[in-house]
Amino acid sequence: MLEAFWRRVFRFERRKARDGDVVLTLRRVYILPARAGLAFTVLLVLMLIGATNYTLGLGFALTFLAAACAVADMVLTVKNLAGLRLAGGRVAPVFAGDTAQFGIHLHNAGNTDRYAIRLRFGTVGEGPPEHAADVPARGSATVVLAIAAPERGWLRAPRVHLETRFPLGLFRAWSWWQPDLRVLVYPHPETPAQPLPMRGAAREEGHGEVGLDNFAGIRSYQPGDPLRHLAWRQIARLAPEDGGQLVTKHFEGGAVAELALDFAQLPPHMDVEARLARMTRWVLDAEQRALPYSFRLGHHRYAAGLGDAHRAACLQALALYGREPLP
Amino acid sequence: MKALAPLTRDKQDTLLLVAAALLVLAPHFMHLPWWITGTVCVTLLWRVLLTLRGRRLPPVWLLLPVALIAMGGVFQSYGTLLGRDPGVAMLTLLLVFKLLEMHAKRDLYVVLFLSFFLMLTSFFYSQGILTGLAMAATLVALLTVQITYQYTGSVPTLGRRLRLAAKMFALAAPLAAALFVLFPRFEGPLWGMPGDAQGPRSGISDTMAPGTMTNLALSEELAFRVRFDGAPPAQNRLYWRGVVLSHYDGRTWTRIGGRLYRRDGDAMTLRVNGTPAPYEVTLEPSERRWLFTLELTPPALEVPGERVGESDELESFTVRPIHRRVRYRAAAYADYAVQPELDPALTGKWLQLPAGFNPKTRELARTLRGDGASVDTARVVAETLLLLRMKGFVYTLQPPLLGRDAIDEFLFVTRQGFCEHYAGAFVFLMRAAGIPARVVTGYQGGELNPVDGYMTVRQSDAHAWAEVWIKGHGWLRVDPTAAVAPDRVRLGLGGALPREAPYGITAFRGDKDSWLARLRFHVNAGNNAWNQWILDYNPERQRNFLAELSARAADRQTLAALAILLALAWLWRLLRARRRRDPVQTAWERFELLLARHGIRRAPDEGPHSLAPGWRRWRWRTKKRPRWPNSCNCTRRCVTARSMTMNDTGRSAVWSNC
Repeated sequence: MLEAFWRRVFRFERRKARDGDVVLTLRRVYILPARAGLAFTVLLVLMLIGATNYTLGLGFALTFLAAACAVADMVLTVKNLAGLRLAGGRVAPVFAGDTAQFGIHLHNAGNTDRYAIRLRFGTVGEGPPEHAADVPARGSATVVLAIAAPERGWLRAPRVHLETRFPLGLFRAWSWWQPDLRVLVYPHPETPAQPLPMRGAAREEGHGEVGLDNFAGIRSYQPGDPLRHLAWRQIARLAPEDGGQLVTKHFEGGAVAELALDFAQLPPHMDVEARLARMTRWVLDAEQRALPYSFRLGHHRYAAGLGDAHRAACLQALALYGREPLP
Repeated sequence: MKALAPLTRDKQDTLLLVAAALLVLAPHFMHLPWWITGTVCVTLLWRVLLTLRGRRLPPVWLLLPVALIAMGGVFQSYGTLLGRDPGVAMLTLLLVFKLLEMHAKRDLYVVLFLSFFLMLTSFFYSQGILTGLAMAATLVALLTVQITYQYTGSVPTLGRRLRLAAKMFALAAPLAAALFVLFPRFEGPLWGMPGDAQGPRSGISDTMAPGTMTNLALSEELAFRVRFDGAPPAQNRLYWRGVVLSHYDGRTWTRIGGRLYRRDGDAMTLRVNGTPAPYEVTLEPSERRWLFTLELTPPALEVPGERVGESDELESFTVRPIHRRVRYRAAAYADYAVQPELDPALTGKWLQLPAGFNPKTRELARTLRGDGASVDTARVVAETLLLLRMKGFVYTLQPPLLGRDAIDEFLFVTRQGFCEHYAGAFVFLMRAAGIPARVVTGYQGGELNPVDGYMTVRQSDAHAWAEVWIKGHGWLRVDPTAAVAPDRVRLGLGGALPREAPYGITAFRGDKDSWLARLRFHVNAGNNAWNQWILDYNPERQRNFLAELSARAADRQTLAALAILLALAWLWRLLRARRRRDPVQTAWERFELLLARHGIRRAPDEGPHSLAPGWRRWRWRTKKRPRWPNSCNCTRRCVTARSMTMNDTGRSAVWSNC
């Protein structure tokens, strides 16, 4: 009973809501004078000496008011950070070599606005770009922090460093937060791209005629292609920077081209990572050309298919090949 | 702000900074040389124009020579670069030039901290209540500027920033007050202040010539304030002894100087009877050394932070001129005898007269003395006073000018004079009659403020009177002015010389009961409280106050009351904090905690629905319903009906069933 009362009074438990989603309690917020604060201390000493030497009553009043303002600043700086609730947001998978972006939500349950909270990944010495956020009273803000993703596999978000000097800049309050966020990093697609391993009719060049019977994927537009064969869906999907030229639906007569992406079929002398890179490129190419493809990698066997879910499953298999999944 | 709205944030911030700097600098314009004020204004204007036009700041090679020239100008104006006033001038120039040389955030702090220090230096020149209010306003403005520069994203309106600064000020004020009271004070100055001493202000001087006192009588300036522990003595006993003048050269009375009085010495014999009346004097800075005491205070004054000397003519003075307000306590006896057994052979210096002056007065003195071998001092004094009263003498602030034989002319021709004429003529007469006599200057009277019980003594209360020595009785005070104008002693100068009501409005005449007089008393009491508690809260005062405070706080009831107050404040805060929380969110968090204790958890990216299977399983297994931690009925409905939806951050968003 008594324990419950104290728990209620101090609200210990309510504060740590879930793993990775945390309320910055006072105990987690550290504070030290900033360089401006040290200079301000020197100023206060000078003012005190001046007031003493010239026995300036108002000088004492001003000195003590300034000192008390610094103390108020200290309290407000801590309060600017303490009580902030942090939660992880969405993360989108990226390819190795790109930057992974983590959304971080800041919630302010209090009645005062919080300003100038700077967030960055990493430790004090490092200099990844900072992002500043203002969190209105009873509102929230989202900050996207980026970090390089050099390797495939799961990438955990590093610790987040939160810092604020608001309102006067005399003190620096900071806190660390380990978000429970991870991002899936796909292998870097191979460049330059190798042709897709078409099997069946398409493999034997010349046998099949370009006809109108069987849809055989898309290819870039060539002068003379009929306008009604333009693949509008793919044209719309491709951004110009991805080589978004006009593409035409490609029809073949004869046997249906079958596209099977099989890790085991790749030359064994190739490096595993290179093979994964090639597979990744092929998955992307097949998706781009809208060619259904089957996928085999270790125990992952996916029948021929097309679409975002299929693509995501294949890329995830590639990303995690040979890697322990994160606990 | 409407006009500023189209400006970019940088420009608005800079303009605000310049405005705050102007607030800091404005009080200095009164005492700075005109060319510095001009430079400051032009530079600030230049800064504003540069900001508005979006131009670049001037390069260092341009600023540096200008700053050097300005430094040369300061040297030219003050003759030195050291000391208080040139220092303040340099700081002002430094501040405005620094405003033109701002490139990093560090420069902003330099400007702001310089401003803080400049605010402090403005108190060299004025420390009134209005200055205090201006200081508070300027401080809030500076805080606003400092806050303004800290925003990284959105910037609230100027009004909200001002409110935040005011909030900080309000938070700081109680702590500042506590620091003010409790922070250990040291007696200044820490080092000498060469060249800082201000020129003498008006006040009792070391000499007395015709016109000295008249000039003082026109000044309403404050000389000192007194508080009596008991009831103040009657008005006509309020003789504040200052300087004793014993040498006359025919025109001017001067001190002959005395040896330092030794407390265990025998040069001074003093007999006092009865109980003393304790009082405390708060002396305004006069740049002179005289301390004023009520007659008769035995010479053993202690002034904190000052060395006090005493002459054997019962004068008290500090070794250094007084440039700050000082307080001292003393006690005066009504019944006393000073040097009653003085060897008459030593009284020669009080019989000195210049030869060849005032023959008619000497003749009169001879008549008064009579032919006896020994002089009957009491009779001569009484006859002289009677003479002054009966011969149509006039007490006036505008006496006619006097020639070489000033006392002859005064006594026999003009018969109009102020206190210095009467005191001087009286002492001359006594000496000529062979009676040791001397002039004493100081103050007479004082105005009791009914609001705070302090008595105010102004320069216009300056007065001169005489002392004669009678064997067996010692030095006796004789006030010849009182014989001519009894109202001067009874009612003060205002009573003796009624003034015209200014502009014909009687309220301005200073009657005690007019509303203006009452207002004046209140303002005066406010000023006095300001002086006593803010400006002169010195180590001694701090010691006394803290001793009194600790005596009170040791009281158990006070402590208990304080504890109860603190507890109430804490509880109130707590209640407010609890009320603020979203009850549904609270209930949901408790519910999750409850489930978590049984191993049912939700990943951060899962919604509340993902808890449902585990929750159902648990209920099935335990066959009991959990104890609901909150009485809020809707919570239960909400959670069990699983009607809650959450946004991706896990916070409650929509409540359909509540």
